[in-house]
Amino acid sequence: MKKTIHLVINDEEKSLSVDVNKTLLEVLREDLGLTGTKRGCNQGECGACTVLLNGKPVSSCSLLAVKADGKSIVTIEGLAKDGTLHPIQKAFNEKGAIQCGFCTPGMILVTKSLLEQNPKPQLAEIKEAISGNICRCTGYVKIIEAISSLVDS
Amino acid sequence: MNNYNIVGKGIPRVDGPAKATGKAIYTVDVELPGMLYAKILRSPYPHARILHIDTSEAERLPGVKAVITGQEFRDVRYAFVDTPRYPADEHPLAVDKVRYIGDEVAAVAAESEAIAEKALSLIKVEYEILPGVFTAEEAMKQEAPMIHDEQLGGTSAWEQWGVAQKKASRETETRVNNLSGHTYVSFGDVEKGFREADYVREDRFTLEATAHCPMEPHAAVASYDPLEQKLDVWLSTQGIFLKRFFLSKVLKMPPSKIRVHHTFVGGAFGGKIDLFHYECCAAYLSIKTGRPVKIELEREEVFMTTRQRHPIIVKIKSGVKKDGTIVAQDIKVIADNGAYRGSGPVVIFLCHGFSFPIYNIANYRYEGFSVYTNNGIRGPQRGHGAPQIRFSIDSHIDLIARDLGMDPVDIMLKNVRHKGDVLPNGDRLDSCGLTECIEGAARAIDWQNKRRQFKPSEDNGRYRRGVGISLCAMFSGAMYYPFASAAVVTLHDDGSATLFTGAQDIGQGSYTTLSQVLAEELGISIEDIRVVAGDTDLCPIDIGSFLSGTALVTGNAVKLAAADAKRQLLEGAADLLGTDDIDRLATGDKKVFFKDNPEQSVSFQQAIQASILKQGGNPIIGRGSYKGYPRTDRYPSLAKGKGLFTGAYGFAAQAAEVEVDTLTGKVTLLKAVTFHDCGFPLNKTIVEGQVQGCVSMGAGQALSEELVFENGQLFNPSFLTYQIPISLDTPESVEEIVSTIEPSGPFGAKEVGEGVVAGILGAIGNAVHDAIGVRIYSLPITPEKVLRALGKI
Repeated sequence: MKKTIHLVINDEEKSLSVDVNKTLLEVLREDLGLTGTKRGCNQGECGACTVLLNGKPVSSCSLLAVKADGKSIVTIEGLAKDGTLHPIQKAFNEKGAIQCGFCTPGMILVTKSLLEQNPKPQLAEIKEAISGNICRCTGYVKIIEAISSLVDS
Repeated sequence: MNNYNIVGKGIPRVDGPAKATGKAIYTVDVELPGMLYAKILRSPYPHARILHIDTSEAERLPGVKAVITGQEFRDVRYAFVDTPRYPADEHPLAVDKVRYIGDEVAAVAAESEAIAEKALSLIKVEYEILPGVFTAEEAMKQEAPMIHDEQLGGTSAWEQWGVAQKKASRETETRVNNLSGHTYVSFGDVEKGFREADYVREDRFTLEATAHCPMEPHAAVASYDPLEQKLDVWLSTQGIFLKRFFLSKVLKMPPSKIRVHHTFVGGAFGGKIDLFHYECCAAYLSIKTGRPVKIELEREEVFMTTRQRHPIIVKIKSGVKKDGTIVAQDIKVIADNGAYRGSGPVVIFLCHGFSFPIYNIANYRYEGFSVYTNNGIRGPQRGHGAPQIRFSIDSHIDLIARDLGMDPVDIMLKNVRHKGDVLPNGDRLDSCGLTECIEGAARAIDWQNKRRQFKPSEDNGRYRRGVGISLCAMFSGAMYYPFASAAVVTLHDDGSATLFTGAQDIGQGSYTTLSQVLAEELGISIEDIRVVAGDTDLCPIDIGSFLSGTALVTGNAVKLAAADAKRQLLEGAADLLGTDDIDRLATGDKKVFFKDNPEQSVSFQQAIQASILKQGGNPIIGRGSYKGYPRTDRYPSLAKGKGLFTGAYGFAAQAAEVEVDTLTGKVTLLKAVTFHDCGFPLNKTIVEGQVQGCVSMGAGQALSEELVFENGQLFNPSFLTYQIPISLDTPESVEEIVSTIEPSGPFGAKEVGEGVVAGILGAIGNAVHDAIGVRIYSLPITPEKVLRALGKI
């Protein structure tokens, strides 16, 4: 069964006819080709599928697309503008916070949400903010450094 | 001091922007027109005979395009180890028996994942349940059920490729039930050594199975063209040529008819080396349907059915002199390799390989057994034996130091090997910074001030802190298929270069570090390099991103290719500059100039034009190649530990400071210190990142990570129940590079990013002992074990 929903995705309004049993992750990846959002566990445990829903980070694998009706969504594809990396993307790249890159989109979006709500987070707040996003490559050290560098500047 | 412009600098990774913006394409992101989706039916039993499979109902389900079972591939066998002594023991789908919960029984390709899933439920399998065996020690008993009773004849992959050494007699192996591999190495006279020792101690350590947990689940896309009889595959892999080699054997297709395409790899850690059943199934289903087929494993399947780290039992006995000199050591290792051989014979060989490069012990004996059980298959995992053996040996050394009233750092310093040492197998340590690593790590953890040496009887409050130290060693590549790496460099009209390499960036940063090697050698900037990698049709062979050989082996190939291109460039420029002595010329800023008069120069573009016009049309293509280990033509004997192993060993000393909550038993890693002899850091930021990742993985395995099995059933196949470190677990991290400049490495580089997963385990175990005065002999050090050791439960 399909239902029509209205979303604002990366500042663009869209009306979509989606299967009611599809998750937001599936709609983003399969229907919209936004494959920057990753499926790591499909059970809401790893954070790889994080998108911003009305500015707040959510696991898109655990949210039915129809539940996002009328809401605004930011995916990783929505950050870089006019061929220029977003400052968070730039910081992650320059500080060595990216290795395999599979957790990176989720990490960056969580960081965006954190800094919008709390522009000067303490170290403990940074660690807390990304605690739902698993990274197996970096040991988090350089991710934390990258986020801290944005706070300092 | 060096005068390098590009190598050694912590420049950002070349694939960073693609990954930061979500543009990087991983295997799971590949979509092709007309694609089908596949699912695999798996055994619910740990050990059972397949009596009958009925797929007819599944085949009739609308949307189902193909169903395959093991009956179609009875004669197809393959495995990670496939030698005359250890013939391959895996089928793409189970033929007569299933041997663990999750064993592949049938596969379905359908128009959607949901239809494929539904079709699985319509396949009827009749099983005769057989008794199972679930620990290595039980499996070795005479009365244990035999897990592999089939005949494993035929020609091994090694023989097929023409590299098999003389036909091995399996009679030499110890006659042990369910044995899948055996290693025996001895030098000196170990009994005599024990007689000469002033003190002898024996310990037993156990380590549980752990999971790799790459964030990208395993996936494959296969697309067969029946007209060309060519297969295109996209695989999440660490070694494209090894995958193609084994796929070619399984599919009975020439390697040239199989093309592995490039995708980014979302983490691997050793868990994406083997050819997997699901990859064979994707290929078969595509061949059968003539349509592209994608298969993406669920996270639960990744935990259960890809590969796990071997649970290992280590018994270790050492004889020491009063002054701390280790005069004899006897090590026995039993590894549970699960239902199929996996890398069992390799891990027991490597436990020796990562034991003997550290301490110089005159009398040494090592015996390893790998054993079949009805658990999941065990394969390579970052360190591959190093975590298990290093934890055991350095816990044991720490215990000996306590018994003798000595400082373990002193015992380590007294016994470690040095630059110039020749190992008993003939490997030379042309670089070895173990002593500097130990001294540095001890200093950085504030060893003398922080050592507590608490006794359990002392009451020092609820929270207790302690420090520990441990060492590790790792190969820098080895003689394993395809035994060499090659690289090609082409120069373009604008003076920029393209690097063609078969190496695979699995997150470790090889595209960046190899670009740096090329840029430095050629005299161009990193922005002027494009990397074409990870494609078997476009790129020359590569040993693959495992055995930690990319920096040294592929790095050398790239350096040689760059030097070859540079020589041609200089020859092209020489004419224009009116000289016939290219030794007078140098490159930089995309120009060729006289070393003694940089003002007199020509652009790369002019030199390339001259090369084309005056050198018979040569557009400048540089090529280079480097063997897995130039000093030998042979791979080492897994069974006897003979032959040369690796061209260079990476070393490290790691120290930990922990806090133990004696009320709850929880151990917190406060500070982790790594002093890493990686020869030379091609990229400082990347080296630090590799060390930090290793420390995190090692800390997880030391404190919380454990795959919990009961009668072959995995109880925790998810990130909620299998606890890997999260951001809140991040310790204060210190990583220092001990630069020893390995003579055979490109710019002096050797292994980085693998060995240092191992030392942190012993460092944490020793730190816990330092803090609470009791030893935990098994990993992970869970709160329950701590409370038990403290006598509180």
